[in-house]
Amino acid sequence: MIELSHLTKVYGDTAVVNDVNMEIEAGTITVIVGTSGSGKSTLLRMVNRLVEPTEGRVFLEGNDVSTMPPHELRRSIGYAIQNHGLFPHWTVARNIATVPMLLGWDRRKVDARVEELMELFQLDHAQFANRYPHELSGGQQQRVGVARAMAAKPALLLMDEPFGALDPIIRSKAQTDLKAIQRRTGTTILLVTHDMAEAVHLGDRIAVMDGGLLKQYAPAADILARPADAFVDDLIGSADRPFRYLTLGRVRAAVEPGVAEGAPLAADASLYEGLGELLWSGRDAAPVIDDAGAPLGRVSLVGIAERAARPK
Amino acid sequence: MKRDKIRTGTVLRLLAFAVLLAFLLAPDRFAGLLTPLTNNGAPAIYNQGTLLDLTLSHLFTVGLSTVAAAIVAIGLAIFVTRPAGAEFLALSRAIVNIGQTFPPVAVLALSVPIMGFGEGPTRMALFLYGLLPIFENTLVGLSTLPPAVVETASAMGMTGRQRLLKVELPLAMPLIVEGIRLSTVIGLATATIGSTVAAKGLGEVIVAGLLSNNLAFIVQGGVITGVLAVLISDGFEALAHRMAKRRGASSEARQSDPDGQGSSA
Repeated sequence: MIELSHLTKVYGDTAVVNDVNMEIEAGTITVIVGTSGSGKSTLLRMVNRLVEPTEGRVFLEGNDVSTMPPHELRRSIGYAIQNHGLFPHWTVARNIATVPMLLGWDRRKVDARVEELMELFQLDHAQFANRYPHELSGGQQQRVGVARAMAAKPALLLMDEPFGALDPIIRSKAQTDLKAIQRRTGTTILLVTHDMAEAVHLGDRIAVMDGGLLKQYAPAADILARPADAFVDDLIGSADRPFRYLTLGRVRAAVEPGVAEGAPLAADASLYEGLGELLWSGRDAAPVIDDAGAPLGRVSLVGIAERAARPK
Repeated sequence: MKRDKIRTGTVLRLLAFAVLLAFLLAPDRFAGLLTPLTNNGAPAIYNQGTLLDLTLSHLFTVGLSTVAAAIVAIGLAIFVTRPAGAEFLALSRAIVNIGQTFPPVAVLALSVPIMGFGEGPTRMALFLYGLLPIFENTLVGLSTLPPAVVETASAMGMTGRQRLLKVELPLAMPLIVEGIRLSTVIGLATATIGSTVAAKGLGEVIVAGLLSNNLAFIVQGGVITGVLAVLISDGFEALAHRMAKRRGASSEARQSDPDGQGSSA
């Protein structure tokens, strides 16, 4: 668990982070979302002491991080950033091995870990291990960056706009993959973004920051349903809100008895995808099947619309 | 196309090196070529010492001074790019600049009374003269690294020393090598003036030619120095190019983001 207590960073006369208190549960994804200059990156960087707080403390598993030597603290925390920051003079394998090598793992253990991670991130070991970062596509570089951050199995992973440099299609896949990997490894992730859609897609909880202040810190559904103030409301975008809300629900939840014509929807698809499919195919309802392909019933436009309405 | 060009270049360089070596090992065989440049039956080939010996001491003097200059200049550049040394940047620049602007001849004249005649004053002059290119290039190399890369090095848990040795210096190396190349080439040419204070080197041949009005001496001293400078310069350039190429035509890859669509902003 991470606890941020009265965390403040002042540059000159401005408090870029102003008295932020947060508790982050282990094994979850927490997304800090805000506009540029909101202090979200500074907040993230105070966790691994890339920035030293003016006031306040950060506790990791109850330990005050300011009492640990910075380089040792950082070896225990994964870190991935927008432009991946891969070392251009090192191969993919050597890049991924950075932290294990710093920790003095033995060679065989390092090699095994690199192979394991490359498989996890769908990078063919034989093909990519000895390539240099500039020989990879943007999406591959980003995956290597995240693999490197996770190499020494950190309990906590900090990510600063990790998908910011990717085009929308690759970004969406990278988000889905990250979420799946996080569910498998149980890593606690603290991720910074300016994109509310990304925050809703990834975050178990969302922290909204503006002008150095923590405006709201709540589960994604609560943020959408009950924005704390006008700023949070703006960030969500009033026209987008019902659609954002639908991305949180699964088709499974809207299944009703009955039959319908046409191509079936997967029960695990989001309601947002379900709605899109229904609208585009011009149907009022579609059959729903489970993972094994067995029919579960149907989902209708009305059923989905009910779930897009503001919760009472 | 490009590969053919590189090959032609390599062949020419090997050829130049072979001719140079042949000339240094058996200069008398080339006497016929140089005789037309002499007057009154003067010798065509320098005869107060072997050309090979002179060339080797010339190279040794330049090598020694450049190595010393590189150690001091790189060390200084590393120091002033660390937080602790940042305030010494302006001062170091000033000192190194004086080393460059002070004419080597003046250094020779001033250091002879202290160090006596011989190689000493020349080494001192070349050392001072060689500091600036290496210092400036190392400085540029270390201070223009991609910020994301330097920051991640720290964020991964590298200590300051590990970051310097594993990331910063290797990435700055092509530029540092370029600085050493410049200093070496300048040094090779400048070392010839050392002969005015009795340093052993190729300058001796040129000075002897000037004194005895023997164009053949001047030409052989000048051409050997020139060919050496070109070959050594090319060698360094190839080395720097290879280092830069391995990391992906570094400067372009560093500055632009080929896959960024700019859509995230």
